[in-house]
Amino acid sequence: MMLMTQPSHILRVSSITKLYPKAEVYSLKDVSFDVIRGEKLGIFGPNGAGKTTLISILCGILPETSGGVNYFIDNQSATFKDVLPKIGFVPQDFALYQELTAMQNLRYFGKMQGLKNEELESKIAHLLTILGLDHVGNRKLSTFSGGMKRRINLAIGLINDPEILFLDEPTVGVDVQSKVAIIALLNELNQKGTTMIYTSHHLREAEDFCDRTLLLDDGKIIAEGTLNDLLKQHNAESLEDLLIHLTGKALRD
Amino acid sequence: MERFKASVYKEVLLLLHDKVGLLLMYMMPLLLVFVITIVQDSAFRLVNENRLDILIVNNDKGDLGDTLISSMKHAGSFRIDVRKGVNEKQLSKLTLEGGKLATLYIPEDFSTTMSVNSKRISKAMLTEFGVETEVEKRGAQKQESNGAVKFLFDPVLQESYQVTIKNNLQIMISGIESKQMIHQLYKDMGYDQIPPRILQELGKNRTKIVAEPAMNGESAMIPNSTQHNVPAWSIFAMFFMVISLGGNLVKERVSGSFVRLQTIPGAFLHAMFAKITVYSFVALTQLMIMCTIGVFVLPLIGLPQLNLPTHMFPFILISVLSAMAAISYAAMVGTYARTQEQANGFGAVSIIIFAAIGGIWVPSFVMPDYMLMISKISPLHWCLEGFYTLFLKNGSWDQLMGPVYYLISFTVFCQAMALWKLRRQHYI
Repeated sequence: MMLMTQPSHILRVSSITKLYPKAEVYSLKDVSFDVIRGEKLGIFGPNGAGKTTLISILCGILPETSGGVNYFIDNQSATFKDVLPKIGFVPQDFALYQELTAMQNLRYFGKMQGLKNEELESKIAHLLTILGLDHVGNRKLSTFSGGMKRRINLAIGLINDPEILFLDEPTVGVDVQSKVAIIALLNELNQKGTTMIYTSHHLREAEDFCDRTLLLDDGKIIAEGTLNDLLKQHNAESLEDLLIHLTGKALRD
Repeated sequence: MERFKASVYKEVLLLLHDKVGLLLMYMMPLLLVFVITIVQDSAFRLVNENRLDILIVNNDKGDLGDTLISSMKHAGSFRIDVRKGVNEKQLSKLTLEGGKLATLYIPEDFSTTMSVNSKRISKAMLTEFGVETEVEKRGAQKQESNGAVKFLFDPVLQESYQVTIKNNLQIMISGIESKQMIHQLYKDMGYDQIPPRILQELGKNRTKIVAEPAMNGESAMIPNSTQHNVPAWSIFAMFFMVISLGGNLVKERVSGSFVRLQTIPGAFLHAMFAKITVYSFVALTQLMIMCTIGVFVLPLIGLPQLNLPTHMFPFILISVLSAMAAISYAAMVGTYARTQEQANGFGAVSIIIFAAIGGIWVPSFVMPDYMLMISKISPLHWCLEGFYTLFLKNGSWDQLMGPVYYLISFTVFCQAMALWKLRRQHYI
C-alpha cells in the first residue's frame, strides 16, 4: 500500500492484472482508475469482461496478480485491514443462510461486523422497514421470493453502515417493485455520503443510477467517464448503444 | 467473543435445522448399538450357553448310544429331539425339513465299535505290562468296525458353530471311550466290574480350564458384546458427522456465505472455530448418550451392562482426540468437495470403508496380515484401539500412546490440508 494524500479519492487502482491459476488469458490487464469519495461508479461490460473479478479484488476476496489498490480514510492512505470494516459487499449470489430467518441472518452478519445488541436491533428494524420486509423478519429465507432474498442480501451488505459499498448485480432477477426499492435505498445512502461501485446488466437502470461509467472488455478498460461525455464522444444514444459500439455484437461466453 | 458466540449460535441453528444430519449422528448409532449388540449377544449365547436345537437319530444296538445322549442332556448344551430307526439316507432331508440346525446320527455298531476299540487298547496296554490277559486266554477278538458318528448340519450354520458343536461332541465321546477302556482293562485283568472307588474318582470333575481376560491391574470389566459395541459404534457415529459438517461447509462455500465473511475482518476464523466447537460438543454428546444407553438401557433388555473405564482422564483424552479427528476429517472433506452431493457421497463411503478396515464391523484379529497393515491407516482403528485399551484392557498410558500419537497426527494432517485449501481459495 502506497502512502499518499489524495483528499478526493477513496480508492485508487493502479495497473492491476489478474491471471487465474491454470488460465492462459488474463482476466484483467493493466486496469487503472480512481474512485472519488461519494460517487456512484458503474462498471459495465459483456459477460467475461472481468467485472466480478475486479470487484472481488477491490473487496479483498481475490488477490491481484500484479498492480495494487490504495485505499484512503479521512484523506490518509490506509491499509486494507483498516479499511475493511468500512466496506460493504453485496455479492451477486445469495450469500445467505436459507435455513435461518431474515432476522437471524441480519443478526449473525451484524454481530460478525462487531455491532452491539441495541444498535444492531435498531439497524435491523430500520433496514427491514425501508426494504419492505418488516412483516417477514421471522420467516425463513427458504420461503422468500427471489426479490425478497435480493433485498435481504442488500440489507446484510448495509448492516455496518459502509463508507464504500461494492454491489455486484444487486438487482439481478428481481421484479420491478424490488428493483425500485433497492435503487431508492442506494440513492438515499449515496446522498448521505456512501461511495458505491456497482455492476449490472440492467443498462437502463445504470444510466439513471451511476455518476460515472467504466466500460470493461476482455479485462481492459475501453472507456471511462461520465455517461453524457461517453455518449457524446462515441456518438451513441444510450449505454446499450455505447456498449455495442465499443464491444461489438459477437456473443460472449 | 461476541462474534464467536454469534457464530456458535448460528451453527446450532443450522444444526437443529439439519434433521437428517441429526438422525444420522444420533439415531443411527443408537440403532446400530442395539441391533448389533443383540445379534452378537444372541450368537454368543447360542455358542456358549448351548441352546442349539439338535436331532439325534440313535440306531445303536448297544447302550453307549444312550450314554452319549445322556451326556449331551447332562451338559445342558442342546435342546435334544431323539428318534430311532431312521435310515441314514433320510438324514439330510430330515435335517433340512425338520427345522433343526444339526443332526447327530449314532450308527447301529456304535457300542460295538467302542467295545472293540477298548479291547484293542486294553490288550496292547496289558501286553506292554507283560500281563497275560483273559483275552489272550480266550483268544483275541479280531472283529473290526468303524461305527463313525455322523454329524449333519444345516448349511446356514456358520463354521464357527459347527466346529464348536463338533468339539463338544468329540469331548463327550472321548469321555465315554475312556470309561469304556478302563472298564475293559479291569475286565481283562479278571475283575467283573470297576471297583466303586475308581468309579467315584472317574466321576469327579477333571482339571478345569479357567478362562479370564488379560487385564492391566484390577478391573471389574468383563469383555462382552456391549463392551465392544458401545465404543465401536460411538466412533462410527462421530465420524459420520462428515455428512452434516462436510455438507454444511460445502453449502456455505457454494452459497457465497464464506465470500461475504471474507469481507468482514476476522469473521471467517471465528466461524470456523465455532464450527469446531459445536461439532466437538456433538461428538462428545454422541459418546455420552451411547455410554448412558450402555450403562442404563441395555441391561433393561437383558444385554450386558457397559462398564466405564476406571480412569476418567485418559477416557476424556481419547474421547476428545477422537472427536477432533472426526471433525478434522469432516472439515477436510467439506473443504475439498465441490458439491454437497460429493461431500455426502465420498464422506459416507469413506467412513464405511474406514470402519470396515478399522475393525468396527469385524474384529481386526480375524483379518489377514495385509489387511491388518491396511487397517492402521484408518483413524477409526486408532480410536477403537484407544477405547478398547480403556474399555476392555484397563490399559496403561504406554498402551494409549500409539492411538494418542496417531490421532494427533491425523488431526494435524487433516486440519493442515483444510487450511491449505482454504488459503489457496483465499478464504484465510
